[in-house]
Amino acid sequence: MTAQSPSSIQQQVTRWTLSVPVQSALYVSLCGLILWTVYFTTYPAVHDRVHSLRHHTALVSCH
Amino acid sequence: MSRLKRSVLISAIFLMAIVFSGWIGLSQPQPSVQLTTTPAVSQIRPFEAEATNLQSPVQVMLQAMDSAGLPVEDAQIHLQILTPPRNPWLPTDFPIVEGTTLLDMEALAPKGELQFQQMLPVRGTYRLLVNVKPIAPAAFVPFQQTLTLSVAENGVKLQNFAILAVILLTVGLVGGWVIGGKQPIQPGEVSPQRVQLLLSGAIVVAIATLLFVNINAELAQSHLAMAMSHPTEDVPPLETPAQMQSQGLEMQLSGDLSATVGQPATLNVSVMDANTKQPVSNVSLKVAATQLENNWVAFAYEGIPDSTGNLTWQQQFFDGAPHKIEVEVAPQATSTRQFQPFQVAQTLSVQGVAPPLSVRLISLTYMIGLVILGFLLGLGIQHRHKQGAFMRQLN
Repeated sequence: MTAQSPSSIQQQVTRWTLSVPVQSALYVSLCGLILWTVYFTTYPAVHDRVHSLRHHTALVSCH
Repeated sequence: MSRLKRSVLISAIFLMAIVFSGWIGLSQPQPSVQLTTTPAVSQIRPFEAEATNLQSPVQVMLQAMDSAGLPVEDAQIHLQILTPPRNPWLPTDFPIVEGTTLLDMEALAPKGELQFQQMLPVRGTYRLLVNVKPIAPAAFVPFQQTLTLSVAENGVKLQNFAILAVILLTVGLVGGWVIGGKQPIQPGEVSPQRVQLLLSGAIVVAIATLLFVNINAELAQSHLAMAMSHPTEDVPPLETPAQMQSQGLEMQLSGDLSATVGQPATLNVSVMDANTKQPVSNVSLKVAATQLENNWVAFAYEGIPDSTGNLTWQQQFFDGAPHKIEVEVAPQATSTRQFQPFQVAQTLSVQGVAPPLSVRLISLTYMIGLVILGFLLGLGIQHRHKQGAFMRQLN
């Protein structure tokens, strides 16, 4: 069994990171977290800022 | 006639008699309760938080009618208003209020009429459970009726969600288009790999930061009261006291001084003669509950106290903000006791409650679903592009 060289491991990691599934997961995760922060977080500073937006959007629970 | 035919004939006559008597029973008028609203039911909309124009509560009139279709007299009406049932799959902006009791009151109705104003917090079908019984025992047979009041959603909310859906689909589409259009790196090709890795790293950091902030917010909220857009502040003191003696009358407003969204608060006003301490019932009471931050009326009622001089009601305050309960006593036109109207008031702090995590996650899932849908569309378009280009290359 031959040990992989550090450069081939790096290439594999790079290929994996830049693959479509991983990039898609990162993109959707970021979108999801931004949506949570804007519409659903209870963090007071954010909640107070977007209070009107939340109450004027269907399917968004505020309180 | 054979025995079988005779028994079939008798059974048929018997069944027809039952159906006929049932039909006669149904066709006879029954005592009922009529519901009238201002505005009309089709125009009623739920409470709009942060509205630009001050919203008025719905005026509700319940009229008890006897079997002859005439208004019932000297009745005692017990009313319960139940909010629409809970539906986590289509949540409203006040999910804690869903499936709870909004109002519970019992009032004297000399003309069989109960009129009040109520702000309705959410869309859906409200149930009004009305029990009518006579003040004088056995004056008439008590009856009850369940009425429904369907409130449509505010059109602006639906419109805004439709706009959001288009934005999310577009965001997904653009993401799928860009990510799906990535070409495999060719040998010797100069590719911005370092830039792509840097951007991916930045996204991971952004995700981690957002996760950290939001998880901390949820943990903090589970321990503390929700700050909401109503910062924790002392309930402002009122100039009007909760108990007052004036012109031979003593009026006192008592009950809960604090409430929680989703749970009713009990309030009571009592009127008595200041000298004899005997209850007074031949007066008019005007009750108003006002949210103090934006000055909208949550509930209003005009009626008379019972024979013990009391008016008691249970009311749910659905907005986590200070409220003022004000009661004005005024003389009845036909009463010998005449005086200048005066008021008592008290403030009540209301604790807001954050919506359940599960309900919020369901709504988030809908939104992410739209992003993924757009994303798959974008990937699909890119895939077709590449197939088309490949076929052209072969040709």
